[in-house]
Amino acid sequence: MNELSKRKWNRLLSHNEFYIAIIIVAICLLIEVRSGQFFTPNNLVDIVRSGIVPCIFGIGVLVVMLSGGIDLSFVPIAALAMYITNSVMLDTGFSGSIVVPFLLAGGIGIACGALNAVVISKFNLPTMIVTLGTSSIFTGLLRGVFEAKEKTASPILMELGSSKLFTAQNADSGLTSDMPSTLFILLGVVVVTFILLRYTTLGRGIYAVGGDPGAARRAGFRVTRIQFFVYCYVGLLAGIAGVTRTGMSQAAHFTSLLGTELTIIAATVLGGARITGGVGTITGTVLGAFLMTIVSNSLVLIGVPTYWQQFFTGALIVIGTGISVYQASKKYRGSLSLDERAKEELG
Amino acid sequence: MKKVLLVVLAVLLMATAFGCSSAPAASEAPSAGASAAESSSAEPAADGGASAGASSGWKIAMVVKDNVNAWFARTDEGVQKFAEDTGTDSFQVGPEEIDAALQVQVVEDLIAQDVDAICIYPIDPTTLEPVLAKAREAGIMVFTQEATTQESKDYDLEPFAPAEYGATLMDQLASEMGEEGTYCTMVSYVTNVAHNQWADAAVARQEEAYPNMKLVDGSDARVESEDNLERAYEKAKEMLKKYPDLKGFIGTSSNDVPGICRAIEELGLSGKVFVTGTGLPSMNESYLKSGTLKQCYLWDPANSIYALMMLAKNVLDGQTVQSGMDLGADGFNELIIDETDPTITYGKGYVGITKDNLNDLGFYF
Repeated sequence: MNELSKRKWNRLLSHNEFYIAIIIVAICLLIEVRSGQFFTPNNLVDIVRSGIVPCIFGIGVLVVMLSGGIDLSFVPIAALAMYITNSVMLDTGFSGSIVVPFLLAGGIGIACGALNAVVISKFNLPTMIVTLGTSSIFTGLLRGVFEAKEKTASPILMELGSSKLFTAQNADSGLTSDMPSTLFILLGVVVVTFILLRYTTLGRGIYAVGGDPGAARRAGFRVTRIQFFVYCYVGLLAGIAGVTRTGMSQAAHFTSLLGTELTIIAATVLGGARITGGVGTITGTVLGAFLMTIVSNSLVLIGVPTYWQQFFTGALIVIGTGISVYQASKKYRGSLSLDERAKEELG
Repeated sequence: MKKVLLVVLAVLLMATAFGCSSAPAASEAPSAGASAAESSSAEPAADGGASAGASSGWKIAMVVKDNVNAWFARTDEGVQKFAEDTGTDSFQVGPEEIDAALQVQVVEDLIAQDVDAICIYPIDPTTLEPVLAKAREAGIMVFTQEATTQESKDYDLEPFAPAEYGATLMDQLASEMGEEGTYCTMVSYVTNVAHNQWADAAVARQEEAYPNMKLVDGSDARVESEDNLERAYEKAKEMLKKYPDLKGFIGTSSNDVPGICRAIEELGLSGKVFVTGTGLPSMNESYLKSGTLKQCYLWDPANSIYALMMLAKNVLDGQTVQSGMDLGADGFNELIIDETDPTITYGKGYVGITKDNLNDLGFYF
């Protein structure tokens, strides 16, 4: 092995994504061996379908984590945005452009995110505490002010959810599964967020703030503004995810959505995002979200008894995030570059 | 600071994992209608303070789980009708949200008001136990629904006997499946008492009456939907992939049937795979109309609460509770008394919902 490929190999080994990819492959093979049903066209489509909404949420969580914060309110924001949007669409019998519900939900999401942003950036309070508080506020608004009840999806969202790109059929069993068009929403979110993080000053600023707010400030980044943007962006993605979910499940059921935030945060950490900020990639997040989706959608296929399914999922979270955090800390200690080390020593 | 945060979050993440597994235990309360009710959720309820001109002399309160749920808006209609029909001073009250501690407060207030009887859907029998005991000590009679495990009560009236309901579901499924083929059951959680009683009863009925039908082997015989429409859909798909000869589902939580129906339609199995179970009209309308679902079942909470209040009034009037007692509401004309516990009684309050009677039920959640 020559020097170059060795270095490449080492770099690959140091990447968290590599390990998640290996875990995913291993689990897929396990499912295939146990059931013979994993690598069938319809099953693969089902997995992608179930992963769309968690992925959109996960990317939002990633952006906050990169900035060194944490948002516990994105699920209530999604619930609120999806409830209001769906109700408006139902009441008005709206049948125009599909862009409208997304604009509305996105707007509500941004407004909620802005509330988080103002409190966090203005008073410089711990993000976890603030968003824990606002998540109760948003849930309270939903239940108290809007007296929310679970409704079926409005016709336009029904249409969104049932529109499909193609239908995959299993030649043996004849079972069919539809690949939903909402896959494009996820792709859009991935591309936009990727460009944002990779190619814009704002995106680099998010990494910088998460790595070290003091250094970022000295380097000329406007920390408060960046934080403001981050929480609004999560709100936006939450709104989009909420509407997407309503369409895909053909119902605006918010109770089953509430309470899923920690699973999504876990998936993001599983994907290598560091809770303390500054480190994480979209690839990792998408892999993390899909790992969780694959596992939770294959417990029956693997043959995990009903009584043990939650234990199994819980164990995966603990072990998976454990590996991921261990990897991160090893890398942190072992392979600090010179200037990273200098930064560490300085403060 | 960062280290502290890291530790806190690590703990939080662990808590998630364990939270996942402990959550269902919390929802163990034997709630026959709770699942249906909670998932149907809220419509602004008419203010629960209706009292008709009192002439029977009794003051009877109905305590519900919250004030915003459509289910409890419907129970309020039952309470008001009862007040009109019998001239009893009766009214509905409930906490702002589904919170057992708040419901305790509501009961405390009623004790202070010196009502004659309290009818209640306990949110959590364990939490409510002391305050209901206190009410009985104060000479107030206590009548419960969806709470067969409540210790401090005079009588509990369930909308129906679990065994009979389960058997009815199985009879329906068997007739759709032509009395042959493989089936499985779905519950919200394997810890939910009511859902599992129904599923057990359905299986028992199959074993007794339909020898050509077969329950899926092992633990897959009972899958969990986590009371979540999306999970019900995903689990149903998984089951149909794993068991190509699976022909029938019985769903017990109100999210099960619509989730399973969506899976059946999407997999292109409509007319080949059959499903029945507990179902709300609003969530199943499209499947009833498309024919994927022939019939699902629900009970009218206005009737079951009307009957509960009538039971309370009869007992206050000094009547002896015996089987066959007529409680004056549809499905509650012949009271059934539990064989082992004489304080538990049943009606026969469930109704089959089909595409034909969907709009004539008198309720639509």
